[in-house]
Amino acid sequence: MGLNALALLVFAVMIFPVYWMVSTSFKTGQNILRDTPQWFPSPATVSNYRDAIDDPYFWDNVKNSVIIVTAVVGISLALAFLAALALAKFDFYGRGAFIVLIIGVQMVPLNALIIPLYISLSRADQLNKLSGVIVTYLTFVLPFTVWTLRGFVMGVPKELEEAAMVDGSTRFGAFMRILLPLVAPGLVATSIFAFIQAWNEFLIAYVFLNDQEKQTLTVWLASFTTSRGTDWGPLMAGATLTALPVVVFFVLVHRKIAYGLTAGAVRG
Amino acid sequence: MRRRYIGALALVAALTISALTAAAGTSSPDRTNATKIVIWLQNDAESSWPSVVAATNSAFKARHSDVDVDVQYQTWGDHLTKFDASLAGGTAPDVIELGNTETTRYMANRLLQDLTTSSGSFPNSRTWLPALKDSCTYRGRIYCVPYYAGARAVIYRKDQYKAAGIRSAPKSLAEFQAAGVKLMKRYGKQRNYSALYFPGRYVWASMSFVYDYGGKIAEFKNGRWQGTLNSPQAVQGLTRLKSVVTALSRASKTGDEANPQQALVFSKGRVGSFIGNGWEWPYALDKKVGNPSLASKMGAYPMPSHIKGKYMPTFLGGSDLAVPITSRNKALAYDWIRTFTNNTQMRQLATVGKVIPNTTTLTSLHARNPQLAPFANASKSSYFVPTAPNWVQVENARTLQTMLQSIFTGRSSVQAAATRASNQITSILNRRT
Amino acid sequence: MSSGPGGEAGFPATTAAAAETPVARRRRRALRDRSTRALAPYALIAPTVVAIAAVLGYPLYLLGKLSFQQFGLAELILQEGPWIGFDNYSRLFHDRQFWTVVLRTFVFTFVNVGLTMVLGTLIALLLTRLGRFMRLLLTTGLVLVWATPVVVAVNIFRWMVDFEFGVLNWTLTRLHLGDFLNKDWFADPLTGFGVITALVVWGAIPFVTITLYAGFAQVPEELVEAARTDGANAWRVFRDVTFPLMKPLFVILVSLSIIWDFQVFNQIWLIRDGEPEEDYWLMSVYSFVEAFRLGEYGFGAAIAVVMVGIMFVATFVYIRQMIRIGETR
Repeated sequence: MGLNALALLVFAVMIFPVYWMVSTSFKTGQNILRDTPQWFPSPATVSNYRDAIDDPYFWDNVKNSVIIVTAVVGISLALAFLAALALAKFDFYGRGAFIVLIIGVQMVPLNALIIPLYISLSRADQLNKLSGVIVTYLTFVLPFTVWTLRGFVMGVPKELEEAAMVDGSTRFGAFMRILLPLVAPGLVATSIFAFIQAWNEFLIAYVFLNDQEKQTLTVWLASFTTSRGTDWGPLMAGATLTALPVVVFFVLVHRKIAYGLTAGAVRG
Repeated sequence: MRRRYIGALALVAALTISALTAAAGTSSPDRTNATKIVIWLQNDAESSWPSVVAATNSAFKARHSDVDVDVQYQTWGDHLTKFDASLAGGTAPDVIELGNTETTRYMANRLLQDLTTSSGSFPNSRTWLPALKDSCTYRGRIYCVPYYAGARAVIYRKDQYKAAGIRSAPKSLAEFQAAGVKLMKRYGKQRNYSALYFPGRYVWASMSFVYDYGGKIAEFKNGRWQGTLNSPQAVQGLTRLKSVVTALSRASKTGDEANPQQALVFSKGRVGSFIGNGWEWPYALDKKVGNPSLASKMGAYPMPSHIKGKYMPTFLGGSDLAVPITSRNKALAYDWIRTFTNNTQMRQLATVGKVIPNTTTLTSLHARNPQLAPFANASKSSYFVPTAPNWVQVENARTLQTMLQSIFTGRSSVQAAATRASNQITSILNRRT
Repeated sequence: MSSGPGGEAGFPATTAAAAETPVARRRRRALRDRSTRALAPYALIAPTVVAIAAVLGYPLYLLGKLSFQQFGLAELILQEGPWIGFDNYSRLFHDRQFWTVVLRTFVFTFVNVGLTMVLGTLIALLLTRLGRFMRLLLTTGLVLVWATPVVVAVNIFRWMVDFEFGVLNWTLTRLHLGDFLNKDWFADPLTGFGVITALVVWGAIPFVTITLYAGFAQVPEELVEAARTDGANAWRVFRDVTFPLMKPLFVILVSLSIIWDFQVFNQIWLIRDGEPEEDYWLMSVYSFVEAFRLGEYGFGAAIAVVMVGIMFVATFVYIRQMIRIGETR
């Protein structure tokens, strides 16, 4: 009971800013900024959503975001899982160097890389193309995914692998049947990270993509701010819409985390 | 075993490549044979005068049917970051809109096409607004075409002025302050009421006080720039500013005029007056976010000078259109600019966008409109920032904001804050460009 | 067979399977395995290394090169500036402001990482104790927070503490906690950083919590049960069973948090409307202002290089430990 109350409190504190975003998205323009804050939208309106979606490039931008995110999540998880295996299960010359590379890459501030990256992508003819943005995101997400996945691969108790081997399965088969499900929670947690990183990134998408029909949702969100101020209602509606797919994605993969749990219980 | 690994790897590689090519495929290949000109406008055009852009493009296409016009809208926050990157990558646009305080840096580095010899071919080039033309001029040569400008005036509540016993628009700064004191007496019990809503980082309105008292931000003397905010005149202006703001404003000392948008604060009814742009009047009345019921209660007048009967100099902000030297379609770029700035489009821009058009021949358009005339009048007495190549760096280092904030919060005296800012300005303006 | 500190490398079952085979076959297979095992890790990391090298290699080289050049706006088109050796670096080290910014960045990172880790761990532990419904509710809440784009989150926080219309000032005053009407949170850098810290930690908690929770899910239930039957309380279980098992994960999370919080940029930049006072400058802001605002790309690159260096030194202990606990098992 006490725990549930505590959980509710944590939930309330964490969710409040999100609640504020969503409730604002249903408020009329005059009620958004008020001397006495309005806790519930009254009257509630969906006109902000209409204004937000009423953009000729909205669906193009949705499509681009989806393509970019799918590619980044898929490719990065596949590559990272292999590298994580190498890190977790093998001793090899150059291992330390690889770890340093992985950690070091994450330390370079993105802002400082904008111009060098731009020059290099322009030479490779990858400007104004989704593929250019995908490979860029990939390299920023990869180190992290490798790193985290390695932790999860190492977290798999050795006895379990051995038990599987005794069953006479081949190594690869054992790996597929035993390791993969056990690492699934890790894959899920990591994929959420990769998903959110790629989904919410702004600067690279803004600078590297020119045509409006090639831009992403975060760039679209920025268009609600002009020198004449910010159009708050539509911006909050747009932000709510942008956050939705992440939640959907999470709900879809959430079972995997639960599966990891039961897998642990079944093991004995 | 190895074969299995290799198989797995090959699978991953194949996936990667197919995903990448799929992604690349969705970005349609450029039609290389058709000529395309790329134009970067700020998104103000997209939200406030899209019809002008559309009309320009169709007029342009009528003459160049084989040319694609690609207008790409940029946001103020990051457009120079993107522009710098595109210059480095050799993919800069053919036409770019620059704020009139952003131009000097690029002119001084010869990154914009010199238009001096062809300037006569642009509409109204003889009657361009002097302040905008100055922002396109570097060492006697012209590098851009004026686009539009905005001037500020006092926007006020007629009903509140009347109720506080203020009969007519103040004719001097002393009268203005006295009127404000009356407003505070009448309405000040309401805790967040401001007779003059003036946030601490409102740079452009603040500098008006400096120029009104004969001060300047910086001067070019003997081949060197010198920050002059610590001159007696400038300090006098800043001191006066502080006394006015302290007495009349309860706005945030660390906020600025855009967040929250001051016209919207005004629309809540607890502001007697504020110093705003022409478009902020209708914005306060906006059906969606403003308060339409104020329509009959609003007025505007130019901010009075400390010298009775004169106007306080207003900052003439605005935008220019330039052609980066990397453009491969300069002739077409010029022609697009000509179309965009001809009389038809400028008239339309002034009406729809509520801004001051780029030529003095059209200012009479506003003189007949009571909602716009005070701003057009105010623009007759204006100031502009120092035309030093590094000026934009002073703006970007937020030197003036920092100075104002420490003056208003009382973290340092006017003299000390002004001296510090002045030294910083001197050092930035004299850096190698 | 390697027998490093981590125990056998490779998939451990080889030995078990091989034990039943004839000697000759075993030898042949061992040979083949050895070469497989020698090559396999390289094959496994190759795609990652190639991807990173292909995309970042040249830009990183350019960044390093820039830091030794006088590289301003005019040099952008030429993509080449005059070589000035270590001038950018020596200018940086003689800049008093730089050292203030470094110190501020350290304090900021320490506070933010500390708060994130402590709160994140506590919430993750709480999650393991909850029933199905509450767990799903709380996790969904966390994911919602995580899914909020930084740009939007910053705006919401700025709003909540807004001088004119902020819900925070209004609520605090209503709760009679003092007079907060027209409280200006950013006038004093301390309260200003309080808001920024709240924003950063709030945004970082979901990742830490969800990762840790996924990690906790891997801890075998029997071990926890065994400890419990031995009479260990919750804290002892955490300290003696859960934490040691999860140490690699903790080390990773801490080091990642350090790396990220050291580079915090957007939150400060946006909450101060793209014009942060010098009191609010962290290293990333400093580097950005020099490069993109002041057009000193060479100098900005030098700051970035130094930043990476400092982070390396700051996380050196962690990196070493990571390589060590990274020993295979």
